[in-house]
Amino acid sequence: MSRQASGLRAWALQRISAVYLGLYIIYFLGVLLICPPDTYEAWKAFVGDPWGSMAMLLFFSSLLLHAWVGVRDVLIDYVHPMMIRVTLLTVFGIGLIGSSFSIAKAIFLAGLQS
Amino acid sequence: MKFIVFRYNPDLDATPRMQEYDVEVTRGMMLRDALLEIKRQDESFSFRHSCGEGVCGSDGLNVNGTNLLGCITRVSDLKEPVKVRPLPGRPVIRDLVVDMSQFYQQYRAVEPYLIRRDPLPEQEILQSPEERDKLDGLYECIMCGCCSTSCPSFWWNPDKFHGPQALLQSWRFLADSRDQATDERLDALEGPYKLFRCHTIMNCVDVCPKHLNPTKAIGKIKELMLERAI
Amino acid sequence: MTLVRRHFDALIIGAGGAGLNAALQLANANLRVAVVSKVFPTRSHTVAAQGGVNAALANVLPDNWHWHMFDTVKGSDYLGDQDAIEFMCREAIPTVYELEHNGVPFSRLDNGRIYQRAFGGQSQNFGGAQAARTCAAADRTGHAILHTLYQQNIRARTHFFDEYFAVDLIADDEGAILGALVLEIETGEPLLIESKTTLLATGGCGQVFRTTSNAHINTGDGMAMALRAGVPLMDMEFFQFHPTGIAGKGMLITEGVRGEGGYLVNKDGERFMERYAPNAKDLASRDVVSRAIVTEVKEGRGCGPEGDHVMLKVDHLGEEIVSKRLPGIRESSQIFAGVDPVVEPIPVFPTAHYVMGGIPTNRYGRVVVPVQHGPEEVIPGLYAAGECACVSVHGANRLGGNSLLDILVFGRAAGQDIIEFLKENPNHRPMDEAAVEKVMSRLTRWEEKGEGISVQDLRAEFRKVMEDHAGVFRTDEIMAEGVEKVKEIREKLKDLRLQDQSSVFNTARVEALELENLVDIGMSIVLSALNRQESRGAHSRPDYPDRDDKNWMKHSLYFYEEDRVEYKPVRTKPLFVETFPPKERVY
Repeated sequence: MSRQASGLRAWALQRISAVYLGLYIIYFLGVLLICPPDTYEAWKAFVGDPWGSMAMLLFFSSLLLHAWVGVRDVLIDYVHPMMIRVTLLTVFGIGLIGSSFSIAKAIFLAGLQS
Repeated sequence: MKFIVFRYNPDLDATPRMQEYDVEVTRGMMLRDALLEIKRQDESFSFRHSCGEGVCGSDGLNVNGTNLLGCITRVSDLKEPVKVRPLPGRPVIRDLVVDMSQFYQQYRAVEPYLIRRDPLPEQEILQSPEERDKLDGLYECIMCGCCSTSCPSFWWNPDKFHGPQALLQSWRFLADSRDQATDERLDALEGPYKLFRCHTIMNCVDVCPKHLNPTKAIGKIKELMLERAI
Repeated sequence: MTLVRRHFDALIIGAGGAGLNAALQLANANLRVAVVSKVFPTRSHTVAAQGGVNAALANVLPDNWHWHMFDTVKGSDYLGDQDAIEFMCREAIPTVYELEHNGVPFSRLDNGRIYQRAFGGQSQNFGGAQAARTCAAADRTGHAILHTLYQQNIRARTHFFDEYFAVDLIADDEGAILGALVLEIETGEPLLIESKTTLLATGGCGQVFRTTSNAHINTGDGMAMALRAGVPLMDMEFFQFHPTGIAGKGMLITEGVRGEGGYLVNKDGERFMERYAPNAKDLASRDVVSRAIVTEVKEGRGCGPEGDHVMLKVDHLGEEIVSKRLPGIRESSQIFAGVDPVVEPIPVFPTAHYVMGGIPTNRYGRVVVPVQHGPEEVIPGLYAAGECACVSVHGANRLGGNSLLDILVFGRAAGQDIIEFLKENPNHRPMDEAAVEKVMSRLTRWEEKGEGISVQDLRAEFRKVMEDHAGVFRTDEIMAEGVEKVKEIREKLKDLRLQDQSSVFNTARVEALELENLVDIGMSIVLSALNRQESRGAHSRPDYPDRDDKNWMKHSLYFYEEDRVEYKPVRTKPLFVETFPPKERVY
């Protein structure tokens, strides 16, 4: 185990997640343009579709990973005092994990109810 | 032509100041010639310079906000008044002279020398012209520091981020068909700092007086790392 | 104030090719070696060498070190020492391979071997067809070599004192060298480096002339230090004017341009070198080409509105050759002459380039002087290598591509010999405090305050005098006047005052110390030139137009004391082969 935080892995994750984010956004915009779900029920169906929900779950996990690497980069660049950096990383980390639970809950609920 | 020059002598000045000079421009005058004329007017003005033809890399300066080499910059190409400052982000020793020791340390840190493990042949190690071509755009670096001192990532972490100059040199040896330390070199670059502080801002490419492309070299290192990782 | 002292096995002053190659030998032998340089090592002027380094590798055309030796002896106008030349030409081959192994990015041939180009004065078979002997890394060979040597020294953990200016050598009563006093430029503090051996590798002194291809730092500091320590300078009248400097500026356009097929034309578009050197044409020896250009201009066939230069044509070579083999030249021409050689010719005129003379050494790099028992007694612990030294392998005229070779071969040889010397002399000699005091006065002199002449003005005056009185063509009258003028300038040195007495990075003080060095060397050049009543190699006198082997096949030795000039014989006996006897020199 390396004593260093990851460099290559973080960088690669950021790139790969960005690719997926890009693709998903194009797909999503396409859906909105061609056959936008216009009711609450339609939205629920869209989110609850097993393939759709998987894709969306992947989208949000990519988004969170991407955000985590990005935030980490910004903090490494600008915040040099170790205690402040660790605190901020923890706060963002908890925030991101919290968001992930909330998103997962919304998607799974939509899946169960449809 | 009016020049506004950064002046600071720690023996005499509490804080830096900008001083104005008037220099009569002659035909084909380079910025270094103008600075020498200022030095003639005022011998207390200090700056580094030597070869006068852009190969020694001594006179990296920040002029009107851009890093460049004084000796290969025509004054006629500069906007008046010409504001001349030391390279940014480095501690100033005096006037336009900055402390480049961290820059040099980062260079040393990438082990910038050929590592060969096989027994050496009696004659040259063979290298095809195509293999040799890969070193073009890399070995020409003159270590003037224009790139690294224009790199925001280097301003923020000059002690941990190698900076564009050192990374260009790292790639110069990774790209050399004769070098046999690829894995060690790549392993040494792992971690969030040494290589991965590069955010492809590309100031380095903009300012390099030898028209080299450190960002591209950094990209190649990352590519090779990825290739070896999977 | 107490003087800080450091102790080393070897002190190397100068971090160009010679200094760094010596340092590498010593650091690899696990000796404590200090390299003192007034600039960061990769700023040393080796970095500006363009064309390449000669070695008879025979990668392109048949070649042999013995042919290389012949060309070098002939190029030297038979003033070179043939033992040293034989040694250098033999050593050239392993030296280039060693450089390549160390990482120098030489250009390559299709079969993977080192690219070699034609250069002036090179022949096959003792004066036959043109040879291709110059190993090149595009037109940035010096840069590639200097950076590689610095890199290898990083690996070998050599101890560098960057931006320290060497003030003077410390010698004891017996004449042994104990180290040197140096000045840390950043703080202005002196530092005493005590060392068992000292190598001077401070390079050339082109700054004595106004128009020069040399850098601002080439002020001959090591030569002047040697002079003040009682060592004479040898053959200083031989100063090479490179035929192709950018007209009016002096930046170098490598001989490699002509090696790749470029040629010179006058205002009539005539390829005039055919008249001066029917066989070698534009690739005749440098002294020959320089004189031809000056003659063309003098006789009214120069180009430009002032008729003060000639043109170097490259455009017929095509863009591919130019950008592949001569990329640096293309860039320099565009920046400094405003022409793209791919479409237009480059305006050129001879520029002060290289001093063949220097500190007399033998082929081990040991400094040798006439003391009591003959002309070549070794000074214990003192070495010199590179342009500041005179082995002498270049004699009266250096061949292109032999300069990088000289610094590498003799830098290495000096390093190796220092290793041997240290085995027999493992201890420091006691420091001579009186000598330290004396040397300190060279620094304290600049603390004198008051009105006086400025360093910048006197430097400009001096360089003009040297250009006017010790240039390409030299007559008795011109040079005698030059000696007087340099004497006057030497007197004026006493009236110099620094207005800036601050300590931190005071470049005015460094330039003052450099000017003192330049003037001492200027005197050695003009006085040795005045005394030599013949034309040989780069030393060309209209009043003595011929070479005179009977009276003048000997080395000059200029002593600082009483401005004395003495002579010593040329070593015409090689190591293992037959002597090349003097012949008329035609190209």
